[in-house]
Amino acid sequence: MLRVENLSKEFHSGRGKNAKTVQAVKNLSFQCKPGEIYGLLGPNGAGKTTTLRCLSTLIKPTSGNAWIDQFNVLDHGQMFRSKIGFLTSDMKLDGYFSPDYMMNWFGRLNKMQDSEIEQRKEKLFVDLKMTDFIHKKIDELSSGMKQKTAVAISLIHDPDVIIFDEPTNGLDIVTSKSVTDFLVSRAESGKIVILSTHNMTIAEKLCDRFGILVEGELKEEGTLSGIIQGSDWDNLEDVFFSYIMPDSTVGGEHV
Amino acid sequence: MFRDSVIIMRKEMRRMFTDRRLLFMLVVLPLVMLPLMYSFMGKANKTRMAEINSYSSRITVCQGQGGGEVSDLFLESLSMLNAHIETSDLEQIDSLKQRVIDKDIELLIVMPGDMNGDILDNTVLNFSIFYNSTGDYSNYAFDQVRSSFSAVNDAIVRLRILEMGMSEDMLKAYTINKFLAADEISDLAEEGSVMGKLIGVMMPFFIVIYLFANSMKVGLDSVAGEKERGTLAMLLVNQVSRLSIVLGKMISVMVAAIVGAVSSAIGLKIASRYLIDMVGDSGASISEYTMGTTAILQFSIIVIPLAILISSLVLVVSTFARNVKEGQGMIMPVYIAVMVMGVTTMQTGDVPPEWMRMAPVFNSLVVLKDIFMQNALWSNVIFSLATSLVVSALLIFVTLRMFNDERVLFRI
Repeated sequence: MLRVENLSKEFHSGRGKNAKTVQAVKNLSFQCKPGEIYGLLGPNGAGKTTTLRCLSTLIKPTSGNAWIDQFNVLDHGQMFRSKIGFLTSDMKLDGYFSPDYMMNWFGRLNKMQDSEIEQRKEKLFVDLKMTDFIHKKIDELSSGMKQKTAVAISLIHDPDVIIFDEPTNGLDIVTSKSVTDFLVSRAESGKIVILSTHNMTIAEKLCDRFGILVEGELKEEGTLSGIIQGSDWDNLEDVFFSYIMPDSTVGGEHV
Repeated sequence: MFRDSVIIMRKEMRRMFTDRRLLFMLVVLPLVMLPLMYSFMGKANKTRMAEINSYSSRITVCQGQGGGEVSDLFLESLSMLNAHIETSDLEQIDSLKQRVIDKDIELLIVMPGDMNGDILDNTVLNFSIFYNSTGDYSNYAFDQVRSSFSAVNDAIVRLRILEMGMSEDMLKAYTINKFLAADEISDLAEEGSVMGKLIGVMMPFFIVIYLFANSMKVGLDSVAGEKERGTLAMLLVNQVSRLSIVLGKMISVMVAAIVGAVSSAIGLKIASRYLIDMVGDSGASISEYTMGTTAILQFSIIVIPLAILISSLVLVVSTFARNVKEGQGMIMPVYIAVMVMGVTTMQTGDVPPEWMRMAPVFNSLVVLKDIFMQNALWSNVIFSLATSLVVSALLIFVTLRMFNDERVLFRI
């Protein structure tokens, strides 16, 4: 179980008269249970990536906390990280090495035995259809191959919670499908998947529940049917536009 | 924790020793560049000296009325030089000075008029010699003429003493080493220590420069480069502590620094024959020089902590910088400061000021100098070791703090 409670994050810039505070995330709370795919949606600057970065322990929340079982981001950073597989579009791999070498390296850093790494690699390479390029240098791979490699590496230690920010960004339709199918299979095997995406079609197709984040605040949360029930909204796109463009005729109104 | 540091270090090492470009920069370049550079400089120096020695200087002599035997003596001494001598009128003096300025001639000598009369009256002769200090040939000609005239001066004084019925020995209050036995030598320096002195002056400078340069080659990319490429975040979201990352990177930078420094030292050893050409004939031979077991032990005790200190310093800058370019800008003043320390150590005598023994980096360089001269005290070695390790620990602590500070790591 993943539990996020009253998570807030402020960024400060400038000094003296030029001092500025931006509240990127405001008292965000949500929960996810095993086997669930949770979609964190919102326009640019809504605070999705900041939330995910807090959950990855890359940055510290200003207040609030998040738990996976008994471990929380503030007090048990290393243990919390052992439970998550995290990937954002701005995270890159060292292009000098091959996917195979990097899988071994990250496996060892995740305290895995060599035999465990071999088994895990074999499964991930097959599931993600990577066997043709595992010994090539990452620099020589296409962006789809690189993305598959990054996905495989972030999941080498078989984490309980998978947190991906725009995992299909820039991928062709075939690679995109293999990544999303893989995520569905992970959820079916009991993992929690948290996805942040702009692609409403993918979100509707994949996610069991959604959280719609606007200016750092969680505006809507629940299943698609729960959110649109009793409103003028027909789909996720209507819900999304009603928050980011309230005067537009595209979205309806929540009754 | 150390297991993770070793895993991180092994990846960095793998890259270092399989990346041909990096390997070339780190190992091959200093190995080839130093002998090439010094052979070029040594040869250029030798060629220039040979050129100056074989050059026929253009000297113009102006003499007042009179002349005579004494004047002939001086002119004769000039004729012994490899020089083309012209005579001219005193009236031409201004145009002749201009020719010296224009480097058209090397020297203008103005000789007094009635030299015979002056010598008989025991009046000091007053020569004027005009030269151009910006010209190598002019400087050389000036030295040659002074030396020739000095010989004539000695001959005249000797003659005066003999005419007065006295021994010319009365001009000398002492002599040095005139009565040494044939097999007796006056320089009692231990075998090899003459070269030790020469190496001790130069080597600490080279060691610190190469340690720093090689740390920079690998260290700036180690964190700032990873930030720039977006690969650092991938590492940070795994189950590895920040301390393990810092230590792993620091050790790999240190190994790169030492490998580069060893390669540079081998290059320097090959280049040393040309280096001797550059510094002139000191009577020392590189083949005479050997370091004893104690000196080698002391050398290791000083150089490894010095490499740790320099690697930690580079890593602090690399962690603070947004990217490699910014890191290079930030590290440059530190690099210059270390170079100045190296040069200062070269110029201090055998007994350096006490503050040098207190300051980190400085004290290691001073002790290295002592080690090459094979007279380092263990107390100084231990003190330098301790200061290097304490400052390194402090720098690692600062790096670790920065690794835990998202404002530094992600420059939010």
